[in-house]
Amino acid sequence: MSSGALELRELVKHYASGEETVRAVDGVSLRIEPGELVALYGPSGSGKSTLLMLIAALLAPDSGSIVFGGRDVGSLSSGQAAEYRRHEVGLVSQEFHLIPGASALDNALIKLPVLGFSLKEARQRTLPWLERVGLAGRAGHPPERLSMGERQRVTIARALAAEPRLLLADEPTGNLDSARTHEILTLLRDICSERELPALLVTHDPEAISFVDRVHTLRDGRLLEGVEAQLTASAG
Amino acid sequence: MNPRIFGVRLDMLLYLYRRRLRAHPVAELLAGGGVAIGVALVFGVLLANASLTSSAGRLIHGLTGSARYELTARSAQGFDEGLVAKVGELEGVQVAAPVLRENVTLDGPQGQQAVQLIGVTPSIEALGGVATQQLGAATVLLRGGLGLPSGVAEALGVQPGRELRLASGGVVRDARMRVLLGGTVAGAAASPVAVAVLSVAQGLVGDRARVSGILIRPAPGAEQRVSSELERLAMREHLDLRPADDELRLLDVATQPNRQSTSLFSAIAVMIGFLLALNAMLLTVPERRRFIAELRLQGYDARQIVLLMGMQAVTLGLVASLVGILLGYELSHLFFQQVPGFLTAAFPIGAEEVVHAGTVAAALACGVLATALASLSPLLDLRGDRPVDIGLHQRSAHSEVVAERTVAALGIAGVCLIVAATALALLAPSLTIAAGVALALASVCLIPAVFWMLARVLPRAGERIHSSALIVAMCELRATTTRSVALAGIVCLAVYGGIAIGGARRDLLAGIERATDQYFATASLWVTSGKDVFNTNSFAPSAPAAAIARAPGVASVRVYRGGLLDVGERRMWVRAKPANDEALLESSQLVHGEYANATRLIRGGGWAAVSSEFASERHLRVGSYFALPTPSGTARLGVAAVTTNSGWPAGAVTLTSGDYAHLWHTNEAAALEVALKPGVSPAAGRRAVLAALGSNSGLQARTAEERAVQSAASARQGLRTLEEISTLLIVAAALSVAAALSAAIWQRRPRLAALKIQGYDAAQLWRAVLLECGITIGVGAFVGALVGIAGHALAGRFLQLSTGFPAPFSLAPAQVVLTILFFGAIALAVIALPGILAARVSARTVLQE
Repeated sequence: MSSGALELRELVKHYASGEETVRAVDGVSLRIEPGELVALYGPSGSGKSTLLMLIAALLAPDSGSIVFGGRDVGSLSSGQAAEYRRHEVGLVSQEFHLIPGASALDNALIKLPVLGFSLKEARQRTLPWLERVGLAGRAGHPPERLSMGERQRVTIARALAAEPRLLLADEPTGNLDSARTHEILTLLRDICSERELPALLVTHDPEAISFVDRVHTLRDGRLLEGVEAQLTASAG
Repeated sequence: MNPRIFGVRLDMLLYLYRRRLRAHPVAELLAGGGVAIGVALVFGVLLANASLTSSAGRLIHGLTGSARYELTARSAQGFDEGLVAKVGELEGVQVAAPVLRENVTLDGPQGQQAVQLIGVTPSIEALGGVATQQLGAATVLLRGGLGLPSGVAEALGVQPGRELRLASGGVVRDARMRVLLGGTVAGAAASPVAVAVLSVAQGLVGDRARVSGILIRPAPGAEQRVSSELERLAMREHLDLRPADDELRLLDVATQPNRQSTSLFSAIAVMIGFLLALNAMLLTVPERRRFIAELRLQGYDARQIVLLMGMQAVTLGLVASLVGILLGYELSHLFFQQVPGFLTAAFPIGAEEVVHAGTVAAALACGVLATALASLSPLLDLRGDRPVDIGLHQRSAHSEVVAERTVAALGIAGVCLIVAATALALLAPSLTIAAGVALALASVCLIPAVFWMLARVLPRAGERIHSSALIVAMCELRATTTRSVALAGIVCLAVYGGIAIGGARRDLLAGIERATDQYFATASLWVTSGKDVFNTNSFAPSAPAAAIARAPGVASVRVYRGGLLDVGERRMWVRAKPANDEALLESSQLVHGEYANATRLIRGGGWAAVSSEFASERHLRVGSYFALPTPSGTARLGVAAVTTNSGWPAGAVTLTSGDYAHLWHTNEAAALEVALKPGVSPAAGRRAVLAALGSNSGLQARTAEERAVQSAASARQGLRTLEEISTLLIVAAALSVAAALSAAIWQRRPRLAALKIQGYDAAQLWRAVLLECGITIGVGAFVGALVGIAGHALAGRFLQLSTGFPAPFSLAPAQVVLTILFFGAIALAVIALPGILAARVSARTVLQE
């Protein structure tokens, strides 16, 4: 399935902090092609999450535009924004927010009811995704009986079960050890490539460099390009 | 002073608690609020139960002072005052103070009130009772008139110096209120008594030179001799010799059925109160675990952490319990301050609340125990096998999930408890309270199993349903967490209590109403002295009976006799219908015996029907004989039938009016039964009878229907405490469950935000949250209703077998449904608002910088 590219043009978002104005995102321009996995590095407070929220239409930009699927995501009403997230965006976050006691399958399908699927239909559509992330044999297990890596894989299946056209991942390896990090990043890369999804990966993890197609660094709201800039940011 | 405890300074302990309060004021407030609600329920119920006899105790002890004995008459007619001098002259008697007690009706500008008129002489001051000291000093009473407690004076609308009317023995006389009695005299501001100097009291009841008792204090060392002399005198004069405060023992027996029935329900209320408090504290467990982890990382050792957590729990428990006690006092004041009206016919009990130190201590202990127990679970993190910082990582509810093994074990325990409770109730009815508690515990044990089944059945049943709210709710309910079990457990116990209490109360009322309908059905009109409920106040019948017989529409007038009689530890209701009455007994109240045969035997004379408790105490069966102490001596009567207690808790004896007149040496009536000519309506007959009696008569004429309604109202009022406990239980539990569910929803906002980021909108999340809460409440209510019906049957059987009340079991599905709906409506209405606020959580919170 081919989806369109994600394009950010001169994106600006300011916050008022006391009497000061913080430029959380300061003239960011970025294009992510279908099937491309882009990593975004940056220290705390650099504006990474703000940028992710802008792309997910959880915030509206002060200026600039976010174009995806031929429309400006930044100008959507709140209803349209919810609709956009429901149909277009898959989001993997650092915190799993899984429902205790509910099976991995039920956790992974949780987005589908809101798209109008019955429980039976939702299960049928989600099961292949659990297989894809390597949890076919663990579909009936509740989160408390899954490892941290398995829980993160449930969130990936949850993000993908509704077949989004854009994948956003916020520190998806933040809670994982090195081996699990490797697994998850490989999985994300393969899925983006297979599904031709444009994907943005917000991370602190230097290991991610070898799994992504491109690396950018966000510092004080401004986007810097390349590995060197990332290393500078990491060192800082 | 700043001592070190386990190496931690006291001010540091206080500082850390202040820090916690500042950091988590809402969580602490919620926990404290929950504890306070639970303690309020516990305290309110305990206080209501303790107050009933305490106010009477204060009044009786206040009057009797240091008296050791009381010689009492066996009927309201009393005995000659001349006996007082004879008793006073007995060797070794130090004080002999006469007392007159008579039930009268006072009529003031604002209404009527039935009170016990107590007549005493200044000699009673020598007994030194708190009340009598003040009474002796109240010289104004010596000038004539009545002393009234403030409650009575207010109800009548009179003040000192104002005139009022007093009806006694069918005659109305003018009286004057002289003095407002303080609490020490009346025992309670609202005690239904009026006090007068003996001669004044005798004049007001038209019985000059008669008294109903003599309080006696022997000289030191002369007790044995005085006791023997008094026994001989009592036997000779056909009087009773009793300990001076024996009235309290009689009251205790009379209120025992009431206490027993409320005890069962109080036990349930206390249990729920405790659970409410415990559950409220459980809400703070994640915070406390994080706090423990922080302290451990800072180097605090286990002892110091236990000390700190213990101090915080006890402080919260104490403060919340004190607030709860104040709340409970108000609750008790607002809801429970009702004297069972039917008891005031026989005992001077008031509506005073008497707070015992034990009641306060029990409520405090309940609150502190709840907070201390809830603090135990975070302390498990101190076990050696747990990482120091485990509390920092347990942010989800995963650790609260109840394991399937536990669900199964609890389910088995629940079934075993139900079997044990049933066996206990069937084999030993006196242990029904224990069985009721076992049933309540069983219901809580069954809840995890119901959740478990629901989690498996619901998804199958709802597989094809296109409802995102239902699917989210079902997923959330897949895990049976300790919190959901605790919440459903509270719902379950409240519904169980509500249905068991409400059902038993309804059965009791139905039983009593059936009994009174039949009891009053033998006459179209009843003429009594004042608003006499039990036909126990006597009057001279000749003149009024003759006047009524001449009234138009009246076919016949028959004399009903009766009164109260102290037999052993029971103040029994003696009912004596004329032998030519159509029915002497209520067929619905027969426990043993054959109705027609029993009626024939009683009608023939020398036989009586006795209530089951009295019969079982004395091992009486139909056909056996028993001794009854009467004013003419000890009578020997045959048992024609065994009945229920006919609504009088201490039991009843039924014989004929002729036997009564003979044994009581009296011609006085307690009521006149009026039969009307065919075609005359009861209302028209009543008007004719009232006209015949004249406007100055102290007698009242009421139709059989009016009497039955009055009697039912009296019974209903007597059982009001049960109704109020039941309602309060539901309301308190619903509010507490709503608060806990709201807090749980609030804590779940990050998960709601995660759903929001998946595209759910606020309305969908709100519906899902309400649905989930509704299902949790529904599970508790379902189990509670099922077990509550069993509890209702159990309580009904207990009331019948152990208290002798008529309480035939009847299932009322409407009441069950209403109880559940009432609970659900309160809880969901409260949850709706925090539900909306939680559902409006910003999805942005999922993405952290």
